[in-house]
Formats: sequence, C-alpha cells, structure tokens
Amino acid sequence: MMTTLVRTLLACATLLITVILGVSIGETAIEPSVVFQALANKLWAAGHVLDPIDEGIVWNYRLPRALVAAACGAGLATCGVILQSLLRNPLADPYLLGISAGASTGAVLVALLGVGAGMVSLSAGAFLGAVTAFALVMVLARASGPPSGTGQIILAGIAGSQLFNALTAFLITKSASSEQARGIMFWLLGNLSGVRWPAVWLTVPVAVAGLAVCLWHRRALDAFTFGVDSAAALGVPVRQVQCVLIGCAALVTAVMVSIVGSIGFVGLVIPHAARLLLGTGHARLLPASALGGAVFLIAADVLSRTLIKGQVIPVGVITALVGAPVFAMILIGRRNAR
Amino acid sequence: MRLHRVVTLITALGLCSQAQATPTQYPLTLENCGSSLTFQHAPARTVTIGQAGTEMLYALGLADKVVGTSLWFNEVDGKYKAQNDQVGRLADNEPSFEAVIGKRPELVAVELEWMVGPQGAVGTREQFHELNIPTYLMPSDCEAKDNRVGADGTRLEPFRIDSMYKSISQLAEIFDVQVRGQQLEAELKASLARSIAAVQKNQLQPPSALVWFSSAQIDMDPYVAGHKGVPDFMLKTLGVKNVVQSDEEWPTVGWETIARANPTFLVIARMDRRRFPADDYQKKLAFLRSDPVTRNMDAVKHGRIIILDAMAMQASVRMFEGLEQLAQAINGYDLSP
Repeated sequence: MMTTLVRTLLACATLLITVILGVSIGETAIEPSVVFQALANKLWAAGHVLDPIDEGIVWNYRLPRALVAAACGAGLATCGVILQSLLRNPLADPYLLGISAGASTGAVLVALLGVGAGMVSLSAGAFLGAVTAFALVMVLARASGPPSGTGQIILAGIAGSQLFNALTAFLITKSASSEQARGIMFWLLGNLSGVRWPAVWLTVPVAVAGLAVCLWHRRALDAFTFGVDSAAALGVPVRQVQCVLIGCAALVTAVMVSIVGSIGFVGLVIPHAARLLLGTGHARLLPASALGGAVFLIAADVLSRTLIKGQVIPVGVITALVGAPVFAMILIGRRNAR
Repeated sequence: MRLHRVVTLITALGLCSQAQATPTQYPLTLENCGSSLTFQHAPARTVTIGQAGTEMLYALGLADKVVGTSLWFNEVDGKYKAQNDQVGRLADNEPSFEAVIGKRPELVAVELEWMVGPQGAVGTREQFHELNIPTYLMPSDCEAKDNRVGADGTRLEPFRIDSMYKSISQLAEIFDVQVRGQQLEAELKASLARSIAAVQKNQLQPPSALVWFSSAQIDMDPYVAGHKGVPDFMLKTLGVKNVVQSDEEWPTVGWETIARANPTFLVIARMDRRRFPADDYQKKLAFLRSDPVTRNMDAVKHGRIIILDAMAMQASVRMFEGLEQLAQAINGYDLSP
C-alpha cells in the first residue's frame, strides 16, 4: 500500500524526468553532458565554460518549452476532468465551451485583418476571442434553460463553437494569402515554438492555481458524479460550484490556448485514461490527470520536433496521432481486464 | 566556381553587342506554363496580378498598356511611381475575378501560379481562357516548381535565372518591343556580372547566410528562404552557402537549428506589409539583438545583418539591385577568421 507521500514523490520524479528528457532532445543534437552543465550553470552558477549558443538553447528555448508544455498539458487535462464531471458527459473537453473556436477567431482577426495594427499580439487576440466566445456561450445557456441544466451548456457550447469556427473560416477564405493562412493554421494546430520564460511565468501559475481550485472542490465534484440533483441533496451549493469551476476551466483554457494554440485531445483523453486506471475519486483523479497531461504533452512536443529532421510538426497533430491509438488500447485493455 | 563566374561575365558582355531584333509576326503563338497562348495583335489592355510582373512591364516601357494592377507587396519602385500613378489599382491583394475581367483585358500577367492555378485565388486559367483572355504566368513560378506541395510551393529544381530572362523576352515578343527587351536583358546581365565581380576578390572559404522573411509571431519559428528558391540563387551566385536545406520556397525553421548553424551573415526582409509584428525589419533586428540565443550568433555579434527589400528576394527585376546590394555588403565585411 503506497502512502500519499510516496505517490507524490513518484509523481514529482516522473515529471522531473520527463522535463529533463524534453530539455535533452531537440531539433539539433546537444550532448547530454552539455545539457546538464548548462542547467547547472544557470541553477547554481556552476561556472562550466560552454558555447553561449548551446547554453542559451538549453536554458532559453528548450527548458521554457518543456515547462510550458507541462503546464498546458496539466491545465487542459484538469479542465477536461472537471467539465466531464460537472456536465456528466464523456465527450466534454476544455474546448466545449467555444473557447478554442473563439481563440481562433481572435487570432485570425489580429493576423489577417491587422486588428490592433501589429501592437496586439496573436496571443492577446486569441485570449480576448476565447473570453468573448465563452461569455456568449454562457449567456446563451442562461437564456435557454434552467440555471443548473447541463444540457443547455453543452448545446450552447456547440452553437457557439460552430458560429466562431464559421467566422474563422470566413475570415481566412476572404482575406488570407497562402503564407498568412499557413502561419495561422500552424498556430491553430498548436505550436510551442515561440514560448520563452514569460510564457512560463504565465502558464505554470495558472495551471497550478487551476488545479488547486479544483482540488479544493474535489468532494463537490465527487457528488456531481451522481447527478446535479444528488449533489444538491448532498448539500453541495450547485449553482455556485458550477459557476466557479466552469469559470475556472474557461480561464485556464483561454490562457493555454492563447499561448500555444488549440492543442486537441489532451483535455479529452487524459482524464478518461486516468479515470480508467484510477477510478472516479477526484482527490486522486485530478492530480493524476494533471501529471498525465503534463508528461503526455512534453513527450508529444519532443516527437513533434524530432519525427522529421529539420522540420517541426504542429504538436496538436502529434497529440491526436499518438493519443488516439493509445486511448483505443486503454479502452480495449480495460474490457479484457474485466 | 571561379571559371563559372568568368563564363557568366563573358556571356553577359557578349549580349551587349547582340544582333538586331526582328519584329513580332502576328498571330503569335507561344507555350506558357502548360497553356498555349495566341495573340492576334499586341495587347493594348493588360491587367497584372503580382508586383514583379507589373514592374517588369514598366521596365519594358509598357506602362501605357497596363489598365489595372493588383497583389502589391511594397511600394512601387520609385523609378515607375509617376507611371504607376496613372494606372488603376484593382486591389492591394488578390483582385476578384470580375474586377479583372471588368477591365476587359487582352492579357492578364500573373506572378504567382496559385492566383490562377487549379485552385486559383482569383480564378482558374480556364475561366479566363473561356473568355478569350490569355493569362501569362511568369515562368519563374511554374517551371520546375510544384505549387501543390508546401504553402508557397516546392521547387523541384533550383531557381534558374534563365526563367527571368525568358519572361522578359516572351513579354517583349508579345508586345512587340523586342529591342527594349534585349536592352533590358543586357542591362540586367551586366548588373549580375558587376555583382559577381564585386565579391570575387573576397574570401577563401565560402561564407554562409540565412534569409529571414517574417514570422507569425516574433519569437516563433521564422519563415526563411529554402535552398532552391530565388534568395538561395542570389546567395549561391555570390558564392555564399544557405544554411537552410528545405526544398520548400519559404519553409519554417526553428531558431535552435539556425543558431547552431551560426551563419556568417543574416539577410532580413524589409517590407511595407504589417500583418505580423516581424514584418517590420526593426522588430526583426530588435529580436536578433535581444534574444538570449540569437544575440550570441556571430552575424549578430559582428553586426553582419543585411536589410534587403522583400521585392528584391523575388523573381523580379529588382532582384538584380538586391544582388548588387548584397555583393557590396558582403564585400564590406572583414571575413578573415
């Protein structure tokens, strides 16, 4: 019987090893000894003499990239867990609330129509788009049914996503040159190439805070597993918890999408995989999903940089290509085990 | 390498004393990028899609035959400003099909195949040809290039300067201005020879370079010149090695790969477009000098960054000016190890 402490240590060690792996493997080959010396130089001023370019690549390109991948994977997986539990729908994922569709529209407005005239970054545009779309979906959900109904939220999310996806398609066909369309598509499919330390300072706290808020509500989330009425009967303040958690999921997702684009699959599949392996108790499910998401996204990013030499594949393509078969294997394995 | 340059030089000089051109015999039929075009007379009304073609017609002295322009990238070359002001601009980017045919053109001159290719952004060539409007596509964008692969097409063979001369001589033939065509070609060849001669006395070891066009976001992997396109031709002509190996016209390559390749100098594009922050060359410079990795690259440390007009990186008449500028800049660098 493993204690919580041992489990926590094990989880931290797994995360650390994956991050080191992410830092060691990149577009070009850098000796592992150089990688460790570079980290040692920066972390405790070890004073190894290194090529400043190698050192910069390890510390300023690869490490932030691995950390942001971890934060995004963890954040998206956490959001997936709470949305699936709250809405009691296995198909729920962080993008259900129109967030990725809204982010795309925002990014396209900035990149293609020059909204903000180069002063507003793609990320800021995406974040504003995501929040706008989410607000619209919530208004629609409120207007269309009882305040705590989960069906309305899903339907409103689908309607909102369709609307914003159509807007994006319209803008791209109307005004993109091939070069711009490529820049946008690359971004829409998920891209970690531009992340530096500032992105780390944004995404890591957001992911940790999101996880903390969700863990705080773990008992309420457990109660929701049996339905809204049961949760209410168990004394859970249904409206309040729904508002807090859905709002939290929306914000976390919007931040992640604005930094790295819409990386699909992580938020949908990692929670299911964790649930299949560990059961439905949120006290374990939430941290396990976060860890799984972090490890999975770092690994996917490493693959995206190394699969084809000299070319980077959008990480969203990798998450789907690798994630779908892995998920299928888990599903089948679970049936056989029963 | 050296012998090759001398041969180019001699060819260039030889062309100056070429035989007199014969006038065009109409009806004229010529093959152009997989289509057969027939002209009963010299076109009096031309619509252009693409700045390179527009400026080439101006260089041939045909501004009065142009009734509409489109797909502008930068300001028109200062030499042609007065003439260009007389011509209507249909669109800054691609025009609509009807805007083009509304001008009742007798020729549509197109710089990039994807504008009128099978999935033409403006319309397909067939659509134009059904209306008896011939479309002339610049050979530089269709010969030995597959525009269905890669965002801006993929070159099957390295870009050849002959494809530029070919468009000049064919356009000159279509408009029956061969004398001016040969004169222009000779001027350009002389310019090319000057550029080659300028760098010849330099360096024992070939320097390397990277050509950075733009980036979707400033920190992101940049769009850079592939190793078979026009910028690569320019570098090769001057004895410089491109550090990018992709066949795509403008591939995306990571800064990690670029920094480790550590090219001798960098070429960055200047353009009027402001779609991405990195379109501004000042932003490119600021990035190169502040990013903790790129600021350690030799080219940045020694200030070997050449700012080149985006039009000079395309198959356009301005490419020759770009070559001269590059040659001068390279010549000015102290590249002794």
